[in-house]
This record gives sequence, structure tokens and C-alpha cells, in this order.
Amino acid sequence: MPPGMSDDRRQTPDPQRLKDLLEQADDAFWPQLTAACRHSDSFLELLQLDKLSRLGQRSHPSPPSLPGARVALVGGCTFSPLDRLLRTRLLGHGLRAELVLGDFDNHVRELLDPGSAIYGADPEIIVLVPSRRLGHFPGSLAADPEQVRSAALETVSQLVALAGAVADHSAATLLVSNWPLPWERDPGAFRSRSPASDWSYRKLLNQELGLRLPAAARIVDAEFISARMGTAAADDPQGWLESRQPGSIGLQVELATEIARLIARGRSASKKVLALDLDNTLWGGIIGDDGLDGIELGDTTARGEAFKDFQRYVKSLKDRGVLLAVCSKNSDEIAREPFERHPEMVLELDDVVAFQANWEPKPVNLRRIAEQLNLGIDSIVFVDDNPAEIEIVRQMAPEVTAVLLPEDPGRLVATLRERDDFEPAVLTSEDAARTEQYRQEARRRQLEAATPDLDAYLESLQMVIEIHPFRDLDLPRITQLINKVNQFNLTTVRRTAAEVRQIADSSDHVALTSRLSDKFGDHGLTSVVILEIDGAGARVDTWLMSCRVLQRQVEDEMLNEMISRLRRRGVTRLAGEYRPTAKNALVADLFPGLGFQTSEQTPERSTYDLEIAPYIPRTTRISRP
Amino acid sequence: MTRSELLQQLQTVFDSVFLEDVAVTPELSAEDVDEWDSVTHVTLIVGIEQQFGFRFGLGEVARARNVGQLLEVIERHLA
Repeated sequence: MPPGMSDDRRQTPDPQRLKDLLEQADDAFWPQLTAACRHSDSFLELLQLDKLSRLGQRSHPSPPSLPGARVALVGGCTFSPLDRLLRTRLLGHGLRAELVLGDFDNHVRELLDPGSAIYGADPEIIVLVPSRRLGHFPGSLAADPEQVRSAALETVSQLVALAGAVADHSAATLLVSNWPLPWERDPGAFRSRSPASDWSYRKLLNQELGLRLPAAARIVDAEFISARMGTAAADDPQGWLESRQPGSIGLQVELATEIARLIARGRSASKKVLALDLDNTLWGGIIGDDGLDGIELGDTTARGEAFKDFQRYVKSLKDRGVLLAVCSKNSDEIAREPFERHPEMVLELDDVVAFQANWEPKPVNLRRIAEQLNLGIDSIVFVDDNPAEIEIVRQMAPEVTAVLLPEDPGRLVATLRERDDFEPAVLTSEDAARTEQYRQEARRRQLEAATPDLDAYLESLQMVIEIHPFRDLDLPRITQLINKVNQFNLTTVRRTAAEVRQIADSSDHVALTSRLSDKFGDHGLTSVVILEIDGAGARVDTWLMSCRVLQRQVEDEMLNEMISRLRRRGVTRLAGEYRPTAKNALVADLFPGLGFQTSEQTPERSTYDLEIAPYIPRTTRISRP
Repeated sequence: MTRSELLQQLQTVFDSVFLEDVAVTPELSAEDVDEWDSVTHVTLIVGIEQQFGFRFGLGEVARARNVGQLLEVIERHLA
């Protein structure tokens, strides 16, 4: 087991126990089944779990209404038994799989033809596993490196073209598997000296694929998986000959795990905040007891260096856009002392966007951190060396991902790096600038407390808004917001990059973004509106805003802009819709608050109407550039 | 391993692979089981290999569509 691996893995029930629960129609059946689907690594056990889930759907009195995931598997291999493994793993993430399988080696036609059965099934996810045959350079080992490279690029371009076809013909997110690394000793040490060897050629293919595949598609990193499990254990030449298996059973279990993880990750709130304990996490010892010169930190001892390395790693997370928070049982003043005065500290107070050091329970402080940053509590990963603190958080704030750090500081970095909580989907420059923006927000909130007159406060911010139709450069950020924003989101319609592009190019839509800046800095692109136009009527399809710019009159400015653009197009009436979710109560009364008339109200949706002719632009404290 | 122990272990594999209840006997063949097609056959064979811890030879069981034939091959591997 690699250092720091899954110390928090719970006891999971075996299939026989689950069978008993099913027969007794016990309510514990489904939760325990999903836990087992998540954790089991045995092929036969995973098959049994798949069977139990299907039996359970039929016979258990209360099968849960799980969200479905329509997934198509296409490519140059057989998808049995991979399909069952994937179904089991998806259930482990609480998703009910609806699988569509392509024909063997028919994926080019299936993806190029808009009328294919694959597109007909309207999958949300298409998984493409290219043929293993393509992972071999057909020419001589002594071939000219440029010739080898162009062969690799040709293979990769074909996959990129297929990704383009998928984006054109469907709304599905594409997952493309790359090539597992080989295990054969042949051609000896020469393997790394010729790009034509399987070893070098597959690495070349995988690297080019990673660089060239459009950002909206994801890589199923079979190269990494095979290397991690051992390339010899990942391959199965016999299984390929016998029935075109994509690799060993062990590899297929890992592929299913990774594919399911990517699918589930695409549907859940992304983690944005790392909340850190201090004592025995950022330094060795207890600052309140051991004092500034008693804590272990710095390169002079192995333990001190381990804590410093941990801080360096945490800082690198911050540099790629993760927000850092402190959640410590300490008095505030003492907790800040090492940050201010210890010469070996890597992290500075400026790196931390929310600092909660007090004696209240950590779940309370984590909620406070979420509120302070205007983020969902489920966007927090909390790390602590104290198992009791981890436990109380798991019980009282189960939405938080709570990670127990090892006692031995030598394994601190490995424990965190073993996880992929902060996997970026697309790394945009806005991610990197985020810490600064959130810190400004914290400063603003202080200012807000000191200025009771809201109007004067808004005036003092010297806000400037820029509103534009969708622009090419902004599409990644727009897609990111559409798939991420939960709170200020009227309809919570998620869209792929391809769909967003279609809307940008459509003449039946008015699609707007806004950027807000103020005296503290630029908030970046934080608001998105999509209006669908049908003759003299228009409908608000999407209206969302990052909570960084809440209560800043941005929504008033956006509405003013919408109305003025609709007037120019001769539209006379604007319909609004609010679809409640677990997270968007914030905007339940947005439309009435803006002067819309309520036309229909059900638990699933409320609809509103606004006559455009009598509309008077709303006044704000925001100016235009 | 006796025949009946063998059959019992095979039963475990069949139970994992097929949704319907199937009693494994030497006479059981693919025609008796609706789900036993060429696709589930692959899964069944992989399941047997995992259960008994050996690999069938190439082509050895590709067409074995009844338990009796499978048993003979399994016994040969375990001998």
C-alpha cells in the first residue's frame, strides 16, 4: 500500500451479508450495498454486487430513486465484463447506470454518423477506448524520429477529430482512454532511445493526446493506472486474443473505478477550500504549549523539514487556485504568532482567506468559513491529525471531506497527494487569481460591517461593470460557471462546452456575461445570462452569478441590459423561471423582487412575467466603463 | 478437489454472473440459461479463472457451452 493510502476506509459488508439484508428487506441494504460497490476490489465480488443491485431494484420494497447516468462505451475492445464493473462502481457513487455499448472497433462510424445508435441513445457520457493496435508503431525500430512522431500525431489527430464530432453531434461529455504502458523487456535498454519502441511510442501518444484533446473532453489515464498497478499486471495478451479484452481483469477494475470517478466528479460540487488544522499539522508540537521556539519547523531536523515540506505543498495548492483556511482550536492571537514571527513558516497570513482560531467545535468553524467565503460547506476539504476532530466533523458536517493526517510527519505530504480532491477540470487564469479575490471579499465584508448605510457602502466601492455577449475567449470560464454555480442559479441547467458554443453562435439567443471590478480589484467574469427568444416573447433560460458579487446590484444591471437588448429586437414580454434545488433558495424571490408578476407556482417551478414596454431601468451604484 | 466441491465452486461463479437462479449440474448447457450468450460467456469464463486461479488455454473453452465440457477442462488444469 502506498504511503498514506485510505486510512479512512470503513468496514464494508460482504455479499452474503448483503444478500441476507435483501431477503429481510432491511433498510440498511442500499446504503451498505453502495458502500460495498465503492470499496470492493475483487472481480467476483463486484459481479455479485452488480447482481444484488439488479435483484434489489426488482424485489426490495424501497429501491432508492437514484439519479441515472447514461453512458455509452465505444472503442476497439470488448466491453464485457467492463460494463458490469462500471455499473457497480457508478452505484458506489450513488448513480444508476444506463449503459449503451458500441460494436467492436466500430467507434469511428458510430461517432461520425449523427444518426448512429450511440447518439440515438442520447448519452450524457461517451467513453472511448481506442484500439490497443494503435499503441504500436508499425515501422522499424530504427525509423527516423520525425516519422515516428508524425505517425503518433496522426493517431492523435483522429481521436481529436472524433472528439470534435462528438461535440457537434451530441451534448455528451467525452472520456478518452489513453494507452497502458507495456511490460515487455524487448528491446532492452534501447527502449528509451528510440521513439519507435512500444515503451517510448505509447508515452509519446499519451502525451500528445493529453495536450491536444479539447479541454471539455477528459482523459481516462490508463497510462498512469497501468504504471501504478504494474504494467505486467495490467496487460493480458491472451484476453485480447481470446475475446478482445482491453487489459487484465485488474486493469479493468481500475478503469471502471476511474471512469466512474470522473463521471461522479462531473456531477458534484468541486472542492475549493483546504481547511487546515495548525498544531501537529503545519508544525510539530503545540504552539500554545511549546511556544514559538519550541515548535518543530524548518530544515534543521528531519521532522521540522517534513512539516515545512507539507507547507510548501499546501502553498503550491494555493498557487493553483485552492483557497486556504485555518480551522484551529487555539486563541486567535497565539495561532497567528508563527505566521507573523516564525522565520521558517512557508505559509503567510496573506495566503489564508479565512482564519478561524477559537475554542468552538470545528464543525461550527467550518460552517463559518463557508459563510465567510460565500461557498457551500461541501466545497471544503478539512485536514487534521486528531481523529476525534475528524470524527466530529464527519458526524456534524458530513458534507465536508474530512481527512485524517498521519501521526508521522514523514507521511503528511504523501497522505494529501494520494488524494485528488483538487483535480482541476480546466485550469484557467481566473482559478489562480481566486485567492486574491476572496481575500478582497473578506476585506469588503469588514468594511460592510463598519458602514451601516448600504447605499453609501456601495457607492464607496467604486464599482464598474462590463457586460458583453459571449465571447470565444470567455467560453471556458462560462462553461465552468454554468457547471459549478449552485446558489445564485435560477434554473441550474448544466451545459457542456459544445452546447455553450452553440448558444454563443445562435441567433435565437441573447447570451450575456458580466465582469465587475471595484476599488479592491477585478472580480473577473462572474455572471451569465442566457435568454431564448421566440418571436415577441423571450424566456430566461439561465441566470447565474458567482456569489463573490452578491448584493452588489449586478443583477439589476444585468436586467437593465437584458431589457434594452430585447427592446431593440422587438421583444415585448420576458418570462422568468425559478426551479428550486437544495442550494438555490437564495434566489427564490429574485424575479418578484425585480418587478416580475408571478404567473404560476408549483413545488417544482415558479414562473414569472415582465412587460417590457413600461420597464424603467433600475438605478444602481455601478458605472459602465 | 472432488467433483461435488468443483460443482459447488462453479455454482458460486454462476450465481455471480447470471441474474436468474441456475442449478449447476454437469448436464446444464447454454440452451438452458437465457442469459448465457456469447457476451456473458466471456464473463463466465473470466469468473471461473478468477475463482480457480488458473488461465484457460487459448480457444480451449471458447465453444464449451455446457458444464460437463467445462468441468473436464477445469479438472485438467487442476490436476
